Amino acid sequence: MATDEFHVKLYRKFQTFFQEAEKKRRWNPVEDIPWSDLNPDAPESLALCAETFLGVESYLPDYIRGGLEAVRASSLAQRWFTANWGYEELKHSMALTEYLLRSGKRTEEQMFDFQAKLMEEEWERPFDTSRKMSIYGMFQEMATFVIYVRHEKLAKDHNDKALAAVYRFNARDEIAHARFYEDVTRVYLEEDREGTVADLAHVAKNFAMPGVGLVPDYDQRIEVMRDEGKMDRDVFLKKVYFPLLKRLDVSRQELVAAAAAERRAAKAAKDIEAAE
Amino acid sequence: MERTQLMEMFKAKASEVAEKDFSALEESSVIADMGVDSLAMLEVVGEMERELEVQIPDDNLVGIETVSQLLDVVEKRVAGA
Repeated sequence: MATDEFHVKLYRKFQTFFQEAEKKRRWNPVEDIPWSDLNPDAPESLALCAETFLGVESYLPDYIRGGLEAVRASSLAQRWFTANWGYEELKHSMALTEYLLRSGKRTEEQMFDFQAKLMEEEWERPFDTSRKMSIYGMFQEMATFVIYVRHEKLAKDHNDKALAAVYRFNARDEIAHARFYEDVTRVYLEEDREGTVADLAHVAKNFAMPGVGLVPDYDQRIEVMRDEGKMDRDVFLKKVYFPLLKRLDVSRQELVAAAAAERRAAKAAKDIEAAE
Repeated sequence: MERTQLMEMFKAKASEVAEKDFSALEESSVIADMGVDSLAMLEVVGEMERELEVQIPDDNLVGIETVSQLLDVVEKRVAGA
């Protein structure tokens, strides 16, 4: 059971997050992107990457539903954050859609078909508790930030200032979200270090980006994105995993011990089940 | 510690963490082909560090593609310990 201090700390974190967002991060996907600077001659691979990002972002209704279900009973700050998060993420989808249509890379009909196809699948939240979902959010938003920054550079290299701006705005939101989740994880660590480290180990071991197995032709799309945006295992470790652990002051050794404990517990449970 | 012993330790730890049989694994094997997630692989390395009582800096674990390259890093650390 979380303490009053836990709720107060999270509420303060949310207040800071929200004030910062209101003052520095509000943007309009139609008005704030320099659409006249887009490059219609940019290669199809850029459009495919943008469409893939859009595909992943398009499960927003599922993410909001799953996120709210996870944090509903946890804290006011997390509920409010999730509501605000949904609004900010929505703009990412809108901006990417605007890009694909305005660049002429996709027609409205293609976009609606794509959306309809996406909704044939449903995203299920990968972890059962608010703590695990916050940890998952921290890794996932940070990874998304890193990928968007890489694609911003790629768009600039192809002289598409509009697409670069889309990625820049999206990335700025993602890093803010990652930092909030990181703050939440830090509060969880203060509240229950052992349990939170165990959850960190569990989430790390079972981590997968959203969209895997959901977005049509996902594997082929990711191959193109890796070629273009250079996101691979090493980048994930260097830019996401190791820095986050360092900032949280959690060592790999702690995680290894926690993972070993989880394995032992799972084995013991299996043995009991077999004996019955 | 002999290289062959390190290899046996790696196979045992990887099998334990991933719950797969890696007894036929070779040094030339590509880690990405083992079907073990990169974060799970860090767990394997961590288990080896624990048993060998060494700590490998995070930076040394980036850019590793094969089992052989990973064993080089561990071996170097053990030799320097």
